Amino acid sequence: MRNPWAQTGNYRTSYRQDTSIFATHRELVSLLLFLGFLLVLPQFLSRTQVFILDLILVYSVAVLGLNITTGYAGLINIGQAAFMGVGAYTAALLAPQGLPFWLVIPLGGLVAAFFGFLVGIPSLRVKHLYLAMATLAFQVVFEWAVGHMPLLKQGGAMDMPRASFFGYEAGFRNHFHFWYYASLFTLVLLALFFRNLLRTRYGRALVAVRDNDRAADAMGMDPGRTKLFAFALGAFYAGVAGVLYAYLSRAVVIEDYVFAHSVKYLAMAIVGGLGTLVGSFLGPLFLVLLDVNMESLSNLIKALGFSVAGVDVASALRPLAFGLIIVLFLMFEPRGLYNWWRLVRSYFRTWPFKY
Amino acid sequence: MSQLRVESVTLTFGGVAALSAVSLRVERGELVSVIGPNGAGKTSLLNVVSGFYHPQRGHIFFEGQEITRASPHEITKRGIARAFQNIELFSGLTVLENLLLARHTYLAYGLAQAGVFYGKALGKEVENRRAVEEIIDFMELEPYRKALVGNLPYGVRKRVEVARALALSPKLLLLDEPMAGMTLEEKEDMVRFILEIRAQGTTVVLIEHDLGVVMDISDRVYVLDFGQVIAEGPPEEVAQNRRVQEAYLGVEA
Ligand SMILES: Nc1ncnc2c1ncn2[C@@H]1O[C@H](COP(=O)(O)OP(=O)(O)O)[C@@H](O)[C@H]1O
Ligand SMILES: [Mg+2]
Repeated sequence: MRNPWAQTGNYRTSYRQDTSIFATHRELVSLLLFLGFLLVLPQFLSRTQVFILDLILVYSVAVLGLNITTGYAGLINIGQAAFMGVGAYTAALLAPQGLPFWLVIPLGGLVAAFFGFLVGIPSLRVKHLYLAMATLAFQVVFEWAVGHMPLLKQGGAMDMPRASFFGYEAGFRNHFHFWYYASLFTLVLLALFFRNLLRTRYGRALVAVRDNDRAADAMGMDPGRTKLFAFALGAFYAGVAGVLYAYLSRAVVIEDYVFAHSVKYLAMAIVGGLGTLVGSFLGPLFLVLLDVNMESLSNLIKALGFSVAGVDVASALRPLAFGLIIVLFLMFEPRGLYNWWRLVRSYFRTWPFKY
Repeated sequence: MSQLRVESVTLTFGGVAALSAVSLRVERGELVSVIGPNGAGKTSLLNVVSGFYHPQRGHIFFEGQEITRASPHEITKRGIARAFQNIELFSGLTVLENLLLARHTYLAYGLAQAGVFYGKALGKEVENRRAVEEIIDFMELEPYRKALVGNLPYGVRKRVEVARALALSPKLLLLDEPMAGMTLEEKEDMVRFILEIRAQGTTVVLIEHDLGVVMDISDRVYVLDFGQVIAEGPPEEVAQNRRVQEAYLGVEA
């Protein structure tokens, strides 16, 4: 028998083995080691740093969902922040009733999935730009509706209670740590779920309607149902992300779920690599870190009192960097960070051999 | 009773009749060819049979049941498969995944099982993988199994197109010019595959331009011209038909 650790290629010998996610032993072990690293990481970081990781994790859940709808199924969605908002407001209504957070999370996801299903209905008839308008319409209606509902404080802050888990209370000191682990667990679970779907008929059906929905129809699947499924599943992930974000920020306000955020998630998906699982993590990681660094940089410039023709350079830096990065990616690396990741991985797969 | 019955079907596109009162019957296990010049309505005929277009007039029956208004996926589920003239594969997927997609309706497991990839999901995937591998062997596609379809040469993609239709395990297989643009050697392979498919009991409706091939392998031939059936019968009879000779001379001479 071949030494599984020295394996540099695909030597699968049964159909069952061929369905497995990891090509080599090393890949599986690397992932487990990385997860172990993520588990201990917060112990070495400040509260603010852990908060930044929390954001990356929560955004990853939302971007993963967007990737399901837009990346894998090819259905453009520029209302992901609104789906997140549906989850968040579900949490704002349910959590104060005393429901535990681990129940609120899936419930928020389900309510968002229901809205995803409804918003997906136009996708049965229209595509591309027209579908983009339909999802944008949902975003607008969502913002308007929240702004007019006294139940939701018309978009003003709704308090979220602190969470507790079997007697363990998330207080002031450990709040960010608590939500780090809760978000990490949720993200790993949802990513694993979707990675599994990808090797079943559900995952293949998503790509089929993206590549050629006529042919998908000829394969005996209802393309319409597949599209509704893609919208509902993507919105479920957004809803879950919304609940996490609500708990994390200890309040729900409409500003966190407006159109600009939908664009941000789309940018994260593109920078990470549209239609890739790993890209759903790389995109948020990269753009959040960029944002944080730009913020420090702009604070520095502010402290120096530097300005050009009366324009506050410091405040302009963040949106400028954000926009520039997206344009650069679209121009030079449309496959996103995922492509870099792929190159690095194939290098290590055959390491220490050259090829 | 005929397996497929097309009864005076008329299909028009904004006043232009692609099919006018076309009738056709195919018996179980037959190999029936449809020939005719470009624009005669051959592809349109397959489009109405497979549910992509619905005719303005006429009826279509498959195994005694009306399918005139059924959608493509409903028709596929009843056992009619189709290989497209203009290759319509899923270009972002591998050959293997394209064929597995054709097993969609055979992969009966729920979302929860798919999400954990255990139990029924795993079992069904492996079982259907086996079925797909048999087709890959049969169509001699082994070297391309894990290749992205979009990167394959034309002749191979044509073969994948037929293989995918075959992976649906159909009772009736519709092939729209499966040999068009192929080299002589590739054509010979394709003829061999088609004869083998028929020998295994699958009914085949073949659209083909190469009259030599058609006359060689068909049980019966339908000739379409300007959306109308101008002749029908065994190959040798059709070849003698004056209208057919005119239609063909008019176009090809
Ligand atoms: N979707 C369509 N819209 C408009 N006209 C069409 C369409 N499909 C086919 N036609 C017309 O119907 C006629 C028959 O076309 P087709 O069935 O593709 O012929 P064939 O396959 O025999 O070459 C042609 O005149 C073609 O222009
Ligand atoms: Mg044609």
